[in-house]
Amino acid sequence: MSCLELRDVTKGYDGLPVLSGASARFDAGRAHVVMGPSGAGKTTVLRLLAGLEEPDAGEVVRPAGTRLAMTFQEDRLLDNLTATANIRLPHGRLRGDELASFLELEREALHAVGLPVDARPVRELSGGQRRRVAILRCVLAPANVLIFDEPLKGMDEKTVRQVMGYVLPRLTGRTVLWVTHDERERGLFERPVLWTVRGGCVLRATM
Amino acid sequence: MTGGGNSGIGGGGRPGTWGARLLAVAFWLVAWQLLSWAVDSRIILVGPLEVLARLGSLALTPEFWASVGTSLGRIGLGFLGGLAGGLLLAALAARVRAARVLLAPLMGALKAVPVASFVILVLLWVSSCELSVVISWIMAMPIVYTNVLEGIEQTDAGLLEMAEVFGVGALERVRMVYLSQVLPYFRAAVSLALGLSWKAGIAAEVIGLPDLTIGEHLYDAKVYLDTPDLFAWTVAIVVVSVALEALVSRGLDVALSWWEARP
Repeated sequence: MSCLELRDVTKGYDGLPVLSGASARFDAGRAHVVMGPSGAGKTTVLRLLAGLEEPDAGEVVRPAGTRLAMTFQEDRLLDNLTATANIRLPHGRLRGDELASFLELEREALHAVGLPVDARPVRELSGGQRRRVAILRCVLAPANVLIFDEPLKGMDEKTVRQVMGYVLPRLTGRTVLWVTHDERERGLFERPVLWTVRGGCVLRATM
Repeated sequence: MTGGGNSGIGGGGRPGTWGARLLAVAFWLVAWQLLSWAVDSRIILVGPLEVLARLGSLALTPEFWASVGTSLGRIGLGFLGGLAGGLLLAALAARVRAARVLLAPLMGALKAVPVASFVILVLLWVSSCELSVVISWIMAMPIVYTNVLEGIEQTDAGLLEMAEVFGVGALERVRMVYLSQVLPYFRAAVSLALGLSWKAGIAAEVIGLPDLTIGEHLYDAKVYLDTPDLFAWTVAIVVVSVALEALVSRGLDVALSWWEARP
């Protein structure tokens, strides 16, 4: 699969520039860790790549066949549905054996990240539990580009280990864009591509 | 000490528990009975005991049940039509701005015009048998339309973005995202429209006088100054209204719980 790309992208809000002529090629099938100070435009980069924003100038390239999944900074769950119904949302309406086997996969996933498997709507889950549901929805989505916007924010180390123990093997071979403030999260991936968003540019860092 | 379970009136003026509510109802029933004894005129006021006795004797006649059934069937049909119409038009208005602009004055007029005006007007167009169907439909539709449209508009933009990123199809978006957001608004609309449709439908029957309906019996009671009958039929209307409301609310709650608990 070809790369996601920003080509000389400029983007601002209410006259305030966020990106000024930013260019970047995100190699397919690799993990890209994006860092940078608060307000530098990391989330804007993700939103542009996800097609949720149009650039003021320049071009965002999403190759044909790109299927996206995203963990937003907010959970964005359907509050009155169960965790499994939320995780299954990107798969459309599954029936019969397909549904049964996916439910089995979901239950395994929930168990693996320490979440209860029950009939409660997600509005009854704690903030941390909801976060894990949002991460699983992204990881189990039928997508080849996975975008994570500070997914582990506020999670304790034990839960991070538990979640990443399930998540990391499922990211192999997929394009991952992982935004974080936490230097330690770089170490979660094996040979990630490091990016810094600063001064309106997206810069590839050298290791 | 404020213990003692839930038999007393709650703190802070909260109208509380079943015990307190029953006591309040009993108080007003006693007051009503005492007043009827004081007035001592069956034409002006009958007491609850006599009303109950009259209702009991009416309930033993097949005509009573046939009348309740006929009124309920016709008004129910109009109400369901109003639900369907309100839902479809709200979906259309949310999707097509021109439809929304076009529908706004119509819905405004339907809500603002007095029900009696509609009844007299509609009676010129349809037979008295169909009158309560049309009137209950007219009552329910704008309420459902307004509430559902409000629900659609209040749908969390973040959830719609999420659905877009994940490539969730249009049908699934409606079924999962919009439905989950609109359901509380729909539920409130059903509750409100049900009571209004029922009362307006009966009022239409009183004016249109279709055979063997609650409205016709109310009218007869008025013409023959049969106050016990008037009260008995009124109580029947209230009981049906409360029972319907409870039944539909319970049904919606069960459906909602089932929908929410799906794996």
